[in-house]
Amino acid sequence: MLELKELSRRDFLRICTAITATLGLPFTYVETVQSAVQAKRKPTVIWLHFMECTGCSETLLRASHPPLGRFLLEIVDLPYHETLMAGAGLQAEESLHKAVKENKGEFILVVEGAVSTKDGGIYCQIGGRPALQILKEVAKDAKLVIAYGTCATFGGIQSADPNPTGAVGVSEIIGTSKLINVSGCPPNPYNLLATVAYLLTFNRVPPLDEFKRPLFAYGRRIHDHCERRAHFDEGRFAESFGDEGHKRGYCLYKLGCKGPVTYANCMTLKFCDIGAWPIGAGHPCLGCTEPDFWDKMTPFYEHLKDVPIPGGGIISNAEKIGAIALAGAGLAIAVHAGAGFVKKALKNRANDENKKEEGA
Amino acid sequence: MTTKSKNSRTYKSYHIWSWTLRIFHWTYAISIIILIFTGLIINNPPVLSSFTVEKANFFFSNVRQLHFIAGYFLISAMILRLYLLFFGNKYEKIADFIPINKQNFKSLIHTIKYYLYLTPHSEGAKGHNVLAGTIYVLTFLFSLIMILTGLYMLYPETGWIKSLGSFLFGTQQSARALHYLLFWFFPIFILTHLYILVWHEIREPEGLISSIVSGKKFSRSTDLQ
Repeated sequence: MLELKELSRRDFLRICTAITATLGLPFTYVETVQSAVQAKRKPTVIWLHFMECTGCSETLLRASHPPLGRFLLEIVDLPYHETLMAGAGLQAEESLHKAVKENKGEFILVVEGAVSTKDGGIYCQIGGRPALQILKEVAKDAKLVIAYGTCATFGGIQSADPNPTGAVGVSEIIGTSKLINVSGCPPNPYNLLATVAYLLTFNRVPPLDEFKRPLFAYGRRIHDHCERRAHFDEGRFAESFGDEGHKRGYCLYKLGCKGPVTYANCMTLKFCDIGAWPIGAGHPCLGCTEPDFWDKMTPFYEHLKDVPIPGGGIISNAEKIGAIALAGAGLAIAVHAGAGFVKKALKNRANDENKKEEGA
Repeated sequence: MTTKSKNSRTYKSYHIWSWTLRIFHWTYAISIIILIFTGLIINNPPVLSSFTVEKANFFFSNVRQLHFIAGYFLISAMILRLYLLFFGNKYEKIADFIPINKQNFKSLIHTIKYYLYLTPHSEGAKGHNVLAGTIYVLTFLFSLIMILTGLYMLYPETGWIKSLGSFLFGTQQSARALHYLLFWFFPIFILTHLYILVWHEIREPEGLISSIVSGKKFSRSTDLQ
């Protein structure tokens, strides 16, 4: 059983500082953020789980940094979270109804996991009701919805081709009018806490990008702020896992790193409070914060090769098709020119014969 | 027509391509050739630098810079051509060489037949023939997509470019895949373009190749009367 110890003053301040930095606010704002999140009236947060691995909650509650989960409970009132709550069965369902009823139009809804839509959404049911129905009902009364993790934001692995359950992200069900997407597989827990802290501090939604992700976290591509960027610019690459370039920590571009096409703040925020992150550990970025990354970013260790093309086919086909088309064009030209020569030769012969006939 | 009168056929030169169009053509051609080679290197860069041996260079940075500079020249060329499509001379305007009316459509069919050796005479278009013109418009559109996907990847945080890019192409990865796929059109286009030019030049002494330098083409004097 997970134990959430009392949050120390020191940890509280540390997390507030980290969040302020994540938001890109100056140090002087730490106190503002701190007093905002400590306000007496805590906002109610209802947390729904659908089709997912619970890895998103897991990152928040990691044993390596227990204060994070505690911090969340410190700044919000969390009456319903299926993984954390003590209640079960009817009792749990009861608390959901009660929480929605009591905080109508006031609460923040956090959704984790994708929603099945095929066959009326029967592939994901809680308490005998489809997730689709639960989400629609609860979201209707929510002030704001935060989709947490790539499954909730863009459908995640459930929605990858062939998507047998018709899984979709939250935006497909409730629209984007009151939605904030905090994507990632898993997302960085600080990005969720910072989003909540922003809401509490400024009482408005943070600036969002085209995919409804907060710009403070998803405003820059990993590649453009990567600690290995200098190696890219100067042409030092790892070409296979474990080779000399890889051992020396050179750029992972040729190992299929998706940093150049992925908006996220992993390169500055990093993970697990120990400054670790995939590229730092020598693993190419998989592009997990981007829509449809299971379909579009795979195979993970190829730069562009074998990438599926919308409408069927994959890039390696395209590369072959391209080369074949180029060769085909060359061949067509040769045949065309050859045909011209043959035709001319035939015509000349016919002319010669005509002349002969005329002469005779 | 007898052989004798064919040999004594006279040709007259006439002005066809404005200097603007000729500048467009050469800017476009040279930038595309540079873009093709630098693009191939960016897709699969060679490892030329290392810390372990005395070998430092900025080859890859320079190649990328060259790609971007050539990209800007391509954009400039496209702006020129866009202007000429609507305000150029009679032969440079888009209505002259796309199959939008019966006459142009007929000329398109004629050119296809001519290229397939099904008819011995070219229809003798003064400017672009309609088949070529249609392919050029297609090339123009593909270049536009290349420019937009390229800008989207080059300026990932610039407000309007990011909004437009994500609206048209979705994610950066989709734009990158499209940028790569459309690349293949251009080498094939260049190969075909050069071949048809030479082929035409051999069959019809219109001075087609020199016209893109001098701006003048030649036509049978009877045609001009």
